Amino acid sequence: MKKVVVVLLVFLMAGAAVFAAGQRETVDEKVVTVFGAFVDEEARRFEEAIRPFTDATGIEVRYEGSSEFETLISVRVEGGNPPDIAALPQPGLMQNFAQQGHLVPMWNSLEQLVDSNYAPVWKDLGSEGGTPYGVFHRVNAKSFVWYPKKAWDAAGYEIPTTWDELEALMDQMVANGHTPWAIGIESGGATGWPGTDWVEDVMLRTAGPEVYQQWIDNEIPFNHPAVKEAFEIVGDIWFNDDYVYGGRNYILTTSFGDSPRPLFEDPPRAMMHRQGNFVTTFFPDRIQDNLEQEVGVFPLPSINPEWGIPVLGGGDQFVVFNDTPEVRQFMEFLATWESGKLWAQAGGALFPYLDQDLDAYPNEIERSLAEALVNAEVFGFDASDLMPGQVGAGSFWTGIVDWVNGRNLDTVLNTIQRSWP
Amino acid sequence: MTLEKRKAAKWKVVINIILLFIVLIWTMPTVGLFISSLRPQDEVMNTGWWTTFTDGTRFNLDNYRQVLGGRDHTYVDAAGNTVRASGDNLSQAFVNSLTVTIPSVIIPLLIAAAAAFGFAWLEFPGRKIFFTIVVALLVVPLQIALIPILRDYQRIGLTGSYLAIWLAHTGFGLPLATYLLYNYISTIPRDIFESAFLDGAKQMTVFTLLVLPLSIPAIASLAIFQFLWVWNDLLVALVFLGGTADVAVLTQRLASMVGSRGQDWHLLTAGAFVTMIIPLAVFFGLQRFFVRGLMAGSVKG
Repeated sequence: MKKVVVVLLVFLMAGAAVFAAGQRETVDEKVVTVFGAFVDEEARRFEEAIRPFTDATGIEVRYEGSSEFETLISVRVEGGNPPDIAALPQPGLMQNFAQQGHLVPMWNSLEQLVDSNYAPVWKDLGSEGGTPYGVFHRVNAKSFVWYPKKAWDAAGYEIPTTWDELEALMDQMVANGHTPWAIGIESGGATGWPGTDWVEDVMLRTAGPEVYQQWIDNEIPFNHPAVKEAFEIVGDIWFNDDYVYGGRNYILTTSFGDSPRPLFEDPPRAMMHRQGNFVTTFFPDRIQDNLEQEVGVFPLPSINPEWGIPVLGGGDQFVVFNDTPEVRQFMEFLATWESGKLWAQAGGALFPYLDQDLDAYPNEIERSLAEALVNAEVFGFDASDLMPGQVGAGSFWTGIVDWVNGRNLDTVLNTIQRSWP
Repeated sequence: MTLEKRKAAKWKVVINIILLFIVLIWTMPTVGLFISSLRPQDEVMNTGWWTTFTDGTRFNLDNYRQVLGGRDHTYVDAAGNTVRASGDNLSQAFVNSLTVTIPSVIIPLLIAAAAAFGFAWLEFPGRKIFFTIVVALLVVPLQIALIPILRDYQRIGLTGSYLAIWLAHTGFGLPLATYLLYNYISTIPRDIFESAFLDGAKQMTVFTLLVLPLSIPAIASLAIFQFLWVWNDLLVALVFLGGTADVAVLTQRLASMVGSRGQDWHLLTAGAFVTMIIPLAVFFGLQRFFVRGLMAGSVKG
């Protein structure tokens, strides 16, 4: 027995030494490690999209994705084991790391690329205290209304371009016995976020980008009349049981991913769904296979013509933790359309590059989304991602839930305002 | 039949019915999960699993194929061709999980058994204090140790190696293992040790030939606990081992299988049954040790 134990321990230690040694050898190669929040098929598409970089330079890019990204990146940075590059979904994370001095600021040649390839708003979103850090790659845009094309054609509905037309269309649908909207805000621990997007979208349309920014910075309180107005406009649609499939109950209990499904039943049980470009992955397979024939999309109409049709969106920004020549080369590649082209062709991703080739997108739908994104006069980054975590990932979400549950709007807004740190 | 007996029989029936009811409720979620795992995606998303009883759905193994063989991916390669290929299969993740789990069970159990023997039967100064410290460590959540340990690993270049995660799991598992084995080992009758020492046995002999074999039931149950904990662990593996394909454990692969926005959650149903295979095998493999008599044979010696 004694011998067995000793032999076993020796074996284990030897094995461990071999593993440890094996993993250290790789340091000499030219490798860039990238850590991000997208996984599975999206990770695969990212890897394929950056393969031309590896082919051209011989630098291997090792991507690691995790659905626990937000927790892990903080642990790894604090523990002194950051990746070379991280793709941060929230600007707040970038600001924290930048303030703590973990990030490498943009160098001149990268900054020039960003200046020429992106609209100024993206550079601002990647900056903290006037210093630019983050480079945006794949982004998403959320201000879109999806509809079942065939049913619309049959009923003769037309795409509304103003809010009045939208309201007239909703009434027309009700008169025809159709339900205008399918809405669902359930999302596990993040339940409520689709509702925050609605409010943000309306806020951009009624109050404009400057007031929107003041709202994010809490220069105007959360119970300000401008915010309340946005909530009320959303509430006029949401809480009218004729307008929403299943009423408040469906809104509260349906997961955001399942919520567009009533659009694609035969006959459709709802006629419109407001969500970002990524929602197509949730459509039933038979719809996804014939996207162009089955689905139509238009931007949520303008309310105040002064602001045109603003686009609400978000995106992952790539920031640098370790400054090496290989990392610099890769970051400069990421700032060009070349790095996004293959992913755009595969579908399911939009890119903000000014010089992008819209023909690369695989179908008319994504092409029109990309066009709307690039041409938008007003682009608002998802406000709840920019607000402090206690609000943007806390009381704003729960406030939406309480409000749908029937709680008084003033109480909800006051509660959110009080939670501001 | 006397009245008493009839009454007892009646009670027995009632109790059995209640038990049957509880068992039904208890197994319901698992049955639902199993049925869901055999249904096509569209139907899982649209209707509940109980509807299959009335409308006779088609079952298929598609979810299992996707989980075991790798999800189908569509992407565009460097030449501009659209490619549809399946991702990595689960075999690498199975191997990684076993590589992490087996040493992470054996190492702490051996150390804990030796420590428990020492605390229970050896006289040395500070014994009580050390034991109190070990017990106190039971209430320390492992999450607060992640960052300090990661920093130290970083300093000695251990991050990302299997040794790192073995040592981490050993450390996190030791307090409970030591405490439970101490309770068990201290109940072994003193007579057994005294006769062994009289026969001239050394401490090591007593430990390997008496304590370890006698503690098999306790060690087996601890092994199951530790195995399940390490097998199901996601956080510790992600922190110390990382999540790249060559080292990703099964839980990581499962977590990423649902996609960035959880759009493919129907695959989790099949994934749950696939990951269950090994823990079930371990449980049934070690179960006979629970049943076997504790002191059987020790007196006859």
